[in-house]
Amino acid sequence: MTGFAELLFSGLMSGLIIGLAGLAVTLVFGIARFSNAATGDTMTLGAYGALVGSAFTGSVILGSLIGLAAGALASVVSYLLVFRPLQGRSPISSLLASIGLAFFIRAIIGLVFGHDQNVFQLDIVRPIKFAGIRIQPNDLKFAAVAISTLAVVFIILHLTPIGRRMRAVADNPLLAKVSGISPRPVMLALWSIAGAVSAIAGIILGMKTVVSPESGWEMLLPAFAAAVLGGIGHPIGAIVGGLLIGVAQELATPFVGFTYKIAVSFIVLLLVLLIRPKGLFGRSEGVR
Amino acid sequence: MKFNRRQTLAGLTALLGTAAMPRLSFAQDAGVLRIGALNPITGAGAPYGSGMQKMILQAAKLVNDAGGAGGRTLEVFAEDTQTQPQAAVLAAKKLIEVNKVNAILGTWSSGISLAVMPLTNEAGIPLFNTSGAPALSVAPANEKHLGYRFQATNDRFGRAFAKIAEKEGFKRPATMAFNNASGIGNTEGFRKAWEANGGEVVASVVYEPSQPSYRAELQKVLDAKPDVIIMGSYLADTTVILREWYQTGEENKWIIPAWAANPKLAEALGPDVVEGIIAVDSISNEGSPAFAAYDAAYQEALGQPGLSNVYAAMTWDMVIVLALAMEAAGPGADIAAITAKLHEVAGPDGTKVSTFAEGKEALKSGPINYEGASSVLDFDEFGDVTPDFSASVFTGGEAKRNYIVKI
Repeated sequence: MTGFAELLFSGLMSGLIIGLAGLAVTLVFGIARFSNAATGDTMTLGAYGALVGSAFTGSVILGSLIGLAAGALASVVSYLLVFRPLQGRSPISSLLASIGLAFFIRAIIGLVFGHDQNVFQLDIVRPIKFAGIRIQPNDLKFAAVAISTLAVVFIILHLTPIGRRMRAVADNPLLAKVSGISPRPVMLALWSIAGAVSAIAGIILGMKTVVSPESGWEMLLPAFAAAVLGGIGHPIGAIVGGLLIGVAQELATPFVGFTYKIAVSFIVLLLVLLIRPKGLFGRSEGVR
Repeated sequence: MKFNRRQTLAGLTALLGTAAMPRLSFAQDAGVLRIGALNPITGAGAPYGSGMQKMILQAAKLVNDAGGAGGRTLEVFAEDTQTQPQAAVLAAKKLIEVNKVNAILGTWSSGISLAVMPLTNEAGIPLFNTSGAPALSVAPANEKHLGYRFQATNDRFGRAFAKIAEKEGFKRPATMAFNNASGIGNTEGFRKAWEANGGEVVASVVYEPSQPSYRAELQKVLDAKPDVIIMGSYLADTTVILREWYQTGEENKWIIPAWAANPKLAEALGPDVVEGIIAVDSISNEGSPAFAAYDAAYQEALGQPGLSNVYAAMTWDMVIVLALAMEAAGPGADIAAITAKLHEVAGPDGTKVSTFAEGKEALKSGPINYEGASSVLDFDEFGDVTPDFSASVFTGGEAKRNYIVKI
């Protein structure tokens, strides 16, 4: 039973990272209306920013804030230089541009930092035992950071004027425009939030594993899966989707083994989409 | 009729294009043999790739300076595999179709060699690789016997692991393998050798790459209470697994291939975590004159000792063996005739030689046996070699070689 509980916990931790990345994907989709394939590499960029920041400041926390700022900045810059000029064209243009942007970011990171792995120098600590379950203190901190990130995003979306405007644009861009909502601040806010969320996901992933130029890109597929599972464009859905994928993967391992655990998460995705094609929380989209 | 600037430019470009085309496709002059250097310059193999490529270039230069082989000089076309099969296949296609190379040298990591080999087979040219997967020895991958491996097979690595585990007195080994031909090849090779000796493997896990955590995988292995865990792994996953293992407080030992348990691992985790890990590597033919020649070239090109890159010694040997085979096959021989001579110039019979110049001279008076920088280089029927292995133990954050194992 404790083994089961430990699997559950480890699945929740993986799920939070996947969910955060999925949240970044879904935010952009909800408002800018395309799947941003550069999300993974923005994660990587955030992680490298945090590595450089920690080396400079000597503090992992300050470093992570620098990484977060780097992710947000890169995201805003990519909007201004790449995605804004493509606005009004078919979403395919933006999607393709985002794939190109992803390659670009990865190549730059590879050039600047090399292809060797990097790690955050965190203290290695023994686990605490809670009712027979081994829990890593670091994991608790990561979970706290992930949950506060979610809280902040939801506060911005639901309790601030800019958040209300963002939701209005997500709901009906045309109506929002005629109601006098200027798109520019909405877009800037969206891209900086999406960038910061990606960076946080990348930093936590980097702290749990290693940082290499490919690390974020490899999370892109699970992130997309989480966004789709939750109903694309729906923030809570992305988080729940991520958690579901993470937990399903881990809990399935006693039955299917470790090689097929990734397949299990996609079977879950398939099943959900068969029963609810719009995703867990998605609304069915009518004709606009 | 008037042309504007744009039309003129377009016309000129097209003209240049057509002028260049025949050169690209028919420039197969008789005095040159083209070889492709297909190495992992970026990606997981990056710590080794540049050295591998530079040694191919350097050895080719040496061959050309010695007057070429079989009346021909070597021309090298270099490409990056990015340590990814897709990129490697594209690069190999380009080397074969555009550069018209006669051999591809230096693929690293089994997934890549396995992906490239169908292309080289199709083109009827040899592929010299540094990968370990057992599948590379036999059909379908090596059905045409054009694959030559300068690295020990994973099976041989597994045998070396079993020897070391026995020597160290371990009784309850468990295995963890990265899910690819190489990772599983290592642990299965170990299992075969260990069970043939009457031992038992208490648990084994095959895991997927790029997971945010390997705690569940680790837990399953640790539940069997092993005294040692044998890995078939790479650096990144090993880093994550060892960190999580150390955090559980278990105290078993580890036997890990040296491409994963290297100085970067110690740097990432700190001396306490890696203390006592046994790193196993195939070793170069250290102390041989060929190794001394390679070492000098490596020092000059990269400013590091040749010992730091076993794969570069292999690519160095690739060029020299190929050139010796060209010399033995005689002027104008096609690549099939050259490949047929590989066993002969490297095999155990004949005058022992250590450099290309020596071999070229000795070939005038009879058969030769090139004793390489990477191993004595006696290919078996599958085109595989059997190097020796070293067991190094991490103490205070540094791996120190303890002993050498012959299988």
